[in-house]
Amino acid sequence: MINFSQETIEQLITLKEDKNVFLEGNLLRLIETDNEEFSKYIEECIVHDKDVRRKRLEVTRQVQQQNRELLNLNDENQRILEELQMTLTEVEESKKQVEQAKTEALNDLDLLQKKKQTELIGGIVKVALGVITFIAIMSTGLYVFAIIMGKETTNIGQAWNNLFGILLTNAFSIVGTIMGVKYANKGKN
Amino acid sequence: MMVESILLVDDEDLFHLVFEDACSLLDIGVSMKSVKSADKAASMFKEWFESGKHKEKPECVFVDLNIIGSTFDGIELVRKINFEYGNHVVIGIISSSNDEKEQAKALQAGAQFWLVKSDDIEPRLERFRKDYPEFKNRTKEFTVYK
Repeated sequence: MINFSQETIEQLITLKEDKNVFLEGNLLRLIETDNEEFSKYIEECIVHDKDVRRKRLEVTRQVQQQNRELLNLNDENQRILEELQMTLTEVEESKKQVEQAKTEALNDLDLLQKKKQTELIGGIVKVALGVITFIAIMSTGLYVFAIIMGKETTNIGQAWNNLFGILLTNAFSIVGTIMGVKYANKGKN
Repeated sequence: MMVESILLVDDEDLFHLVFEDACSLLDIGVSMKSVKSADKAASMFKEWFESGKHKEKPECVFVDLNIIGSTFDGIELVRKINFEYGNHVVIGIISSSNDEKEQAKALQAGAQFWLVKSDDIEPRLERFRKDYPEFKNRTKEFTVYK
């Protein structure tokens, strides 16, 4: 406990009356006095101190509340930012998928074109081989028929010989071309 | 009955002001000190314990549950003070949480009370002030002020 001298007590009371300056804080609870005037002064100081603290408490609470709101807003902003980030990632993912689908479609189209081309070549080859086989069979049959019937075979023999030579050459040429085309396309597919 | 000295362990500066003003308005404590970390509080108690300066210890300690920036939480600090640094203080948790599991842990660590922290803290502190003599005499069981 604290005791003040009469001189200090008078100075403190004068300070309060002249300049409205009060003693503050928990010190007030430690002061002991028998002086009635000083006791009254101490009571006034305690009331003043509580008033100041009440106001400060109110302001501090408002600041706390504002801080809490700011924190909540910050959390909300963070949440929105995360959502935006997720949406952006999803959009980029979709874009990638669309580009992939486009590439696949282009590849399919290319493959389809090549398939059609191959089918066309196959058809031409089949027709050509058919024609070659038909002519070979017909000319061979005609030649065999002439031999059996004992007819002049010099001209037909030479013609058959030339014709067969040309047909074989062309057939191998076609087969070679087809093999070449297949080999060239093998790497691309 | 006023508390001679109070120590508040809480990371939030603003709450130091709120707590100090509320205690002062309710005439709870004469001397008040605040620290922001559980590590700091633990080292203070360790020093008092090792040097035998028990008179320098606060009479009552309010510990926040989650003290940001500390290596352990408030319950661990309560346990350390009670079981490693000689006890001899009225100690409890002050937290915005009202989790019963945490309260059970605090009781196990030797906390005497749990005071729920909110904007309107004065009524709870008022009840605590009335119960304080019983806490000091160790005759009051663990109490939750909510």
